[in-house]
Amino acid sequence: MDILHNAGMFFIILGLPFFLSGTVGLLRFPDIFTRLHALTKADNVGLGLIIFGLALQSDSWLMVARLFLIWLLVLIASSASCHLVARCAMQKKIQPWSRP
Amino acid sequence: MSRIYIFFALILLAAIAAGMVRILRGPTAADRMMVAQLFGTCGVAILLLLAKGLDNMVLLDIALVFSLLAALATMTFVRRTWQGNDGEGADGYPS
Amino acid sequence: MTLIMLFDILLVATLLWLAWRLLATEDIFKAVVLFISFGLLMALAWVRMRAPDVALAEAALGAGLTGPLFLSALRRMERIRKEERRVDTDEDRDDDVKAGNKRKETI
Repeated sequence: MDILHNAGMFFIILGLPFFLSGTVGLLRFPDIFTRLHALTKADNVGLGLIIFGLALQSDSWLMVARLFLIWLLVLIASSASCHLVARCAMQKKIQPWSRP
Repeated sequence: MSRIYIFFALILLAAIAAGMVRILRGPTAADRMMVAQLFGTCGVAILLLLAKGLDNMVLLDIALVFSLLAALATMTFVRRTWQGNDGEGADGYPS
Repeated sequence: MTLIMLFDILLVATLLWLAWRLLATEDIFKAVVLFISFGLLMALAWVRMRAPDVALAEAALGAGLTGPLFLSALRRMERIRKEERRVDTDEDRDDDVKAGNKRKETI
């Protein structure tokens, strides 16, 4: 039990930098596509690692199922909406940033 | 031992507060909308960590609603507000 | 317990700042996005006030449904405003062409 708790804490701590780098990337990156890149890493990997850590620490299978349902919904939402935003930006002929 | 979860939630809230700058400064409308989506995901993570930290499992249901409705705002934005060229000025470009 | 107090203080400060920017901004789209984020943070505030049921309603209605409705209405508002502008310029042109004699009749 204790090793599961520690492993869960390890995964939660591993997931936090993804959220922080998502925010920093959203603030620092130069154009839409690179910001989308930063955003999806925070959405998928960051939340995935936090949910995986919490699922390792939880004590009932129902809780694990609910946690993974949340992750699945966020995955669908973020991938679909990021795809839409990127496709629409391409249709609007927004030039991707390139190193000057 | 539950205090560490509150600390993680505090870090994520600070990330939200920092990301607010992009809403105020973002040059295109899509940048602003992406920040709102990041807020949704950060809110889900904060709620999950608070549910563990405060030992209140009702918060998982709120996180479930958050993640259910997370896609709605961005999709409505892309399909209704941003797409289509007849609504010029709605895309927020500095013309 | 001081850590959770810090959380509350940061939450309230962010909410107040967000509400101020939301009311003070001139760009309507920016105000709508700020409103969506305000709804998300308000749900967190309801959680901290030990009212998870209200937080559930706030997350579903305040952030989830009102935001897309506002975005949809924004598009429609732009279209209506554009049509009004076109009608206005047409009337102006008519007034210029008919050079006031119609107006004399009406007056």
